[in-house]
Amino acid sequence: MAGIYVHIPFCKQKCTYCDFASYPNEIGKQEAYFACLYKEIKSKSELLKGKTFQTIYFGGGTPSFVEPKYIYGALKQIYSCYKIDKNAEITLEVNPGTLTKEKLKVYKNAGINRFSIGLQSACNQTLASINRCHTDFEFKKALEYLDGYNLSVDVMIGLPEETLSHVKNTIDLATSSNSVKHISLYALKAEEGTPMFSKYLNGELLSDDEVADIYEESVKYLKQKGFNRYEVSNFSKEGYFSKHNLNYWQRGEYIGFGVGASSFIDNRRFTNTESIDEYVSAVLRNRSPEVFSEQVDGEDAKKEYAMLALRTEFGVSLLSYELSFGSNFLVDFANAIKKNRKYLDITEKNIKIKSEYLYVQNSILVDFIG
Amino acid sequence: MAKIKKDNLRNFCIIAHIDHGKSTLADRLIEMTGQVAERDMADQLLDSMDLERERGITIKLTPVRMLYTAKDGKEYIFNLIDTPGHVDFTYEVSRSLRACEGAILIVDASQGIQAQTLANVYLALDNNLEIMPVINKIDLPSADPDGAGKEIEDVIGLDGTNAPRISAKTGVNIEEVLEKIVTEIPAPECDDNAPLKALIFDSYYDNFKGVILFVRIVDGIVKAGTKIKTFMSDKTFDVVEVGTFNPELRPKQALYSGEVGYIAASIKSIADIEVGDTVFDVNEPTSEPLPGYKKALPVVFSGVYPLDGSKFNDLKEALLKLKLNDAALTFEPDNSTALGFGFRCGFLGLLHMEIVQERLEREFGLDIITTAPSVSYIVHKTDGTVFTVENPTKLPPAVEIEYMEEPVIKANIYTPPEFVGAIMELCQEKRCVFEDMVYIDSKRVKLNYELPLNEIVFDFFDGLKSRTKGYASFDYEVSGYKKSDLVKLDMLLNGELCDALSIIVHREKAYARGRAIAEKLKEVIPRQMFEIPVQAAVGGKVIARETVKALRKDVLAKCYGGDITRKKKLLEKQKEGKKKMRKLGSVEIPSEAFMSILKIDSSDK
Repeated sequence: MAGIYVHIPFCKQKCTYCDFASYPNEIGKQEAYFACLYKEIKSKSELLKGKTFQTIYFGGGTPSFVEPKYIYGALKQIYSCYKIDKNAEITLEVNPGTLTKEKLKVYKNAGINRFSIGLQSACNQTLASINRCHTDFEFKKALEYLDGYNLSVDVMIGLPEETLSHVKNTIDLATSSNSVKHISLYALKAEEGTPMFSKYLNGELLSDDEVADIYEESVKYLKQKGFNRYEVSNFSKEGYFSKHNLNYWQRGEYIGFGVGASSFIDNRRFTNTESIDEYVSAVLRNRSPEVFSEQVDGEDAKKEYAMLALRTEFGVSLLSYELSFGSNFLVDFANAIKKNRKYLDITEKNIKIKSEYLYVQNSILVDFIG
Repeated sequence: MAKIKKDNLRNFCIIAHIDHGKSTLADRLIEMTGQVAERDMADQLLDSMDLERERGITIKLTPVRMLYTAKDGKEYIFNLIDTPGHVDFTYEVSRSLRACEGAILIVDASQGIQAQTLANVYLALDNNLEIMPVINKIDLPSADPDGAGKEIEDVIGLDGTNAPRISAKTGVNIEEVLEKIVTEIPAPECDDNAPLKALIFDSYYDNFKGVILFVRIVDGIVKAGTKIKTFMSDKTFDVVEVGTFNPELRPKQALYSGEVGYIAASIKSIADIEVGDTVFDVNEPTSEPLPGYKKALPVVFSGVYPLDGSKFNDLKEALLKLKLNDAALTFEPDNSTALGFGFRCGFLGLLHMEIVQERLEREFGLDIITTAPSVSYIVHKTDGTVFTVENPTKLPPAVEIEYMEEPVIKANIYTPPEFVGAIMELCQEKRCVFEDMVYIDSKRVKLNYELPLNEIVFDFFDGLKSRTKGYASFDYEVSGYKKSDLVKLDMLLNGELCDALSIIVHREKAYARGRAIAEKLKEVIPRQMFEIPVQAAVGGKVIARETVKALRKDVLAKCYGGDITRKKKLLEKQKEGKKKMRKLGSVEIPSEAFMSILKIDSSDK
């Protein structure tokens, strides 16, 4: 299994919590950026020769903010350079405030078959306070437009002033269409350098305990609605996991194109620069836009495998592990397992973190990377 | 054999309050006498340890010899012996004073005479030194040299009107100081032909030469080949080299009476010699040691453990190396259930303790955990045996104790009058016994108290500083032991006794302190996978309880665009933090918890 990620670093306005490579005032650079993106896509074809890809994911920023021809162009370039599975999952992130019927037509022609909609909250007051460029109305509109597609919706918990009842309202709205098969439920994290961070410093955000309460109730509430947790932040109806994201947890290969994009190819992890200018200038000069690279082999690979697989409800499959590394997980991680026995479900086939401890998994994972 | 006045010699030290310019004046004197090329002069030459330079205080004495041609046309040899400026090192100060005939007293033109200065002036007067006041920092806008001059007269009873008014910083009037050293400080009176008597006033360990003794030759001559011995040791050493401080060691044929210099005699261990002891010639022994020798005894004790348990041997090596130059430092192996193997160390005082801890971390690159300082108690058991306990965990069960005694100190607290009330209140809380109060002048009061040393190591300093806005200062001397109603206060984490957190306290304070420590531990112990009860107990009875709630959220939720590396780094950082924790059963305790019991605001109690 292998995936392709394409990063679109443009947005209409920046959310107050956002610390991703996303620039609201750089839209003037889109022509140059996409020219370089296409070039980068082509330039990696030698490196990726012989690989087949099962997923393509357009993330951002706001992929639905740029002119749709660029998305079309990127996909066209990908198809012309790489072998893409005919049943590939091709996802585009959309912001309800920037989606139009016209754009959708182009996406459809391009072959997009899954959309991930950023809702975050159903409360318009909250949406305004975190500088989202849409209301619940635009979201409902988006659901209408996208009816019949395979949809995922992003919901946030821990937003300022939001109680469990707000979150339940958001979940209600997010799951109001039968097309929605997948929910990503993320807790707000105040990153340094964002406007949200000053709120955090002022103690205006919810405490970890409050967020944990909301998280636990949300997990239950989503389950009632037929969405089962398969990873700490991801929930889906039967058979509708996000293949693209699952590939990350299963330590599958993926190539990332565009600014800030990360890749994992032939046991090497590498990441592109987050600056549009640096990216453009590197690609134009036929230089690599990579700013970070590490080879992950041997013991490090095993640790990574454990750390990633334990995030999921399936945990580590003992057989898959043995096939990947030729050694026994129970032996390789005997100490960590012994130390955390209380928090693990151990069966003949797999080892996973007990669901009630999934939300405090870091305390457990640190023993597996030690 | 008659004593002869060696008129070309002047041995003196400088007494000053911290940052009143002692090191700066010393530098200026050295510069003016041309001993050190200017380019070689790092600022504040005598404070050779980095730590000293950073803190602006002098711990270790570094003497220096200067040549000065005075206005009378004669050439004089000056030996400046620097002195440490802190109460912990009173004994070392008294030793170096013994090597001098005079002392330059630096008085700050804007701040006047400070408590610590005064204590050292009295020490100098006790040692029959001629005090030569100078008024420094006249370049400051707030300088009041006349006021400072009057203060010298009022407080010490010396004539301050003729004191040189200088600025060590800018170099104003330094010449006058040099001249006054010649005219006011007496030349040593001594006898080259008498049997050798030399006072050891300091020492350090040199990797090539062995222990270097800093000596003042009181009588006689010492040179390479002299067989020497000291009164406190049975060993005999052959002198390999003698010389003077320029300030680096400069070998010389011989050291004559009245001179200050060094002796190297292939002495392997600093334990073989003691500061304050007297050196004599084996072939011409003297019967009388020089007066004033006192063994420097540690009064404050604390557990020192390597953060990484496998570094025990590194810590041991480091302590041994420090001990080479620090005879007052004591240590013996110790172990604790929570901290593993480490050492119980003894120090002269809290500053000495801090300095040793900092040197271990800085000079030896060790990460260490230290436990709350303790003092040494005398325990009288019901079976009639008597012994001392420096480690709370070594205290026998309460039923076996007839009674205990704790060390008490005589404290002199110097303060502007407006803080007298606040200080009295503090002293009340600290079980102090009031002895005397003297108005030194309209701006200064001296309060004398007797109080348990135990209270000083807790948080007396901080309390004094915060309640007097930093204006009060104090010095103390251990004066003896007193019977006291003491109990051992234990802390239990998740039901398990954490021995490294045990302290000995007065019974009346146990409840309040137990509660305050439990609250503090609740703050510093991070939440873990399960709930952790934190209890304070006296004699098995729980007197306070807090709870560290179980962790609810510890997850890296978003993994955007497959940036696994970032996630890994965050986890690795978390793992590093975890590694620094100590484990007691299944509870993880951060290293700062072991000192945190000291950092409890007095007002909590």
